Amino acid sequence: MTDKMNPAELSGAYALNALGADEKTEFEEYLAGSEQARVEAAELGETALALGMAAQPVQPSEGLKASIMSRLASTPQLSAVTPRDAEVPTEVPTEDPTEDPTEDPTDSANVATPTPVVPARSDGATPVAARGTSGAAGRAERRWFQRPAGMLVAAAAAVALFVGGAFAGQVLNTNQFEQQQASELAEITAAPDSQRASTTTTDGHPATLVWSGELGLSALMIRDLPALPADKDYQLWYINPSGAFSAGTFDSTGAGTVWRVLDGTMKVGDQVGVTIEPQGGSPQPTSDPIVAIQS
Amino acid sequence: MLVLMTADSTHDPELTAPPSKEELLDRVAQGDQVAFGELYDQIAPRVLGLVKRLLIDHAQSEEVTQEIFLEIWQTATRFESKRGGASSWIMTMAHRRAVDRIRASQAGRDRDSKIGIRDLAVEYDHVSETVEVRIEHERVKKAMSRLTELQREAVSLAYYGGYSHSEVADYLQIPLGTVKTRLRDGMIRLRDELGVAS
Repeated sequence: MTDKMNPAELSGAYALNALGADEKTEFEEYLAGSEQARVEAAELGETALALGMAAQPVQPSEGLKASIMSRLASTPQLSAVTPRDAEVPTEVPTEDPTEDPTEDPTDSANVATPTPVVPARSDGATPVAARGTSGAAGRAERRWFQRPAGMLVAAAAAVALFVGGAFAGQVLNTNQFEQQQASELAEITAAPDSQRASTTTTDGHPATLVWSGELGLSALMIRDLPALPADKDYQLWYINPSGAFSAGTFDSTGAGTVWRVLDGTMKVGDQVGVTIEPQGGSPQPTSDPIVAIQS
Repeated sequence: MLVLMTADSTHDPELTAPPSKEELLDRVAQGDQVAFGELYDQIAPRVLGLVKRLLIDHAQSEEVTQEIFLEIWQTATRFESKRGGASSWIMTMAHRRAVDRIRASQAGRDRDSKIGIRDLAVEYDHVSETVEVRIEHERVKKAMSRLTELQREAVSLAYYGGYSHSEVADYLQIPLGTVKTRLRDGMIRLRDELGVAS
């Protein structure tokens, strides 16, 4: 065997990303069969990291974060399938026993594998949808319909999308409202003055408010908020010394995280509250809030 | 009458200690955009710094940084903390993306004339660096100084220049086998100097 054929010689180049695609594949096959080589590769990988961390940090321009955040809505997240699991026939898994797969093709919050499984590539590489491969595009499409909100905060999961309190769960309708909501949420989370505060509802469900005073916008998300009878809606309020102002209604299916960007303009210091009201909402609150958070 | 309640945010641990990058990635994997924003704030200057070191051009570096963060968003579900820290995962991805960009475009060729062979010490008189970065940099610089000049040159060309080993061979007009050996010996020496152990 000549030196050229000895794959162990490639470990330095591998750690430095200096191999061509074929050699890289070859070297990884070699790694798979040698514990010693894997140790060396891991150590040299850490060494390369030190080189990376020694580079002078550069402050990104103002707009970069907003630009990235605004793209999350249309960028599907991969399922948590590992290449090993990919050998299993692809069916929708029910890894969360509390989730009824027949119920609603949306995700539920805080599940390690939040998306229906799609076949992972058997070569173990990580597909990148941003590059527009056909597989990734297919996933993007599926994801979009399964997650009409396109994106979610604090949960890979809008089990219910709030559509004026009337169309929750109408998952195939990717309407303008949803797009608008998604894009406003992205703006809030990307705003330089974006803040958040958490509390729980009177029933103990975690609730988080995200807001930006500069934008005058806020979004509320609540985990596992119970479903209401058909003649009731949840209603959002901005509350300040001048009174309570309706900020829209919504519904919940009872599992996963629901969120909604509030209607109207938020002023810093406003409280955001949720009450249960007759369907369609009330001009003023008629019941005690199930949650209130101060911005 | 609506009775206001006081939000109890004092028990939110996130408000008292900044979450680790690993925790943030875990939340990102669940679709948490707020966590993603925090992760961005923590590491974007590092990512852009590395990418710009390779690509030189600022606008192009920001483009690639955007690609990297979208890939983080997409693949956070695949991050396995047992296989290394979040910084390692992200910076490895950043370097790969920057190298991909160089190899996919003419940019890599064009930039050669601008930069020539750069050494780690070059362009490092920046005043805005943090103490942490300075220490890290000094540590790496010192370790680099223990390499032979030929090893240092090969490692720098490959890592900071984004050259493939065959490009390094062409550039230095030496046999490919020699480049492989220099890269490996250089990295092993660096590893030992930096005290990296797995």
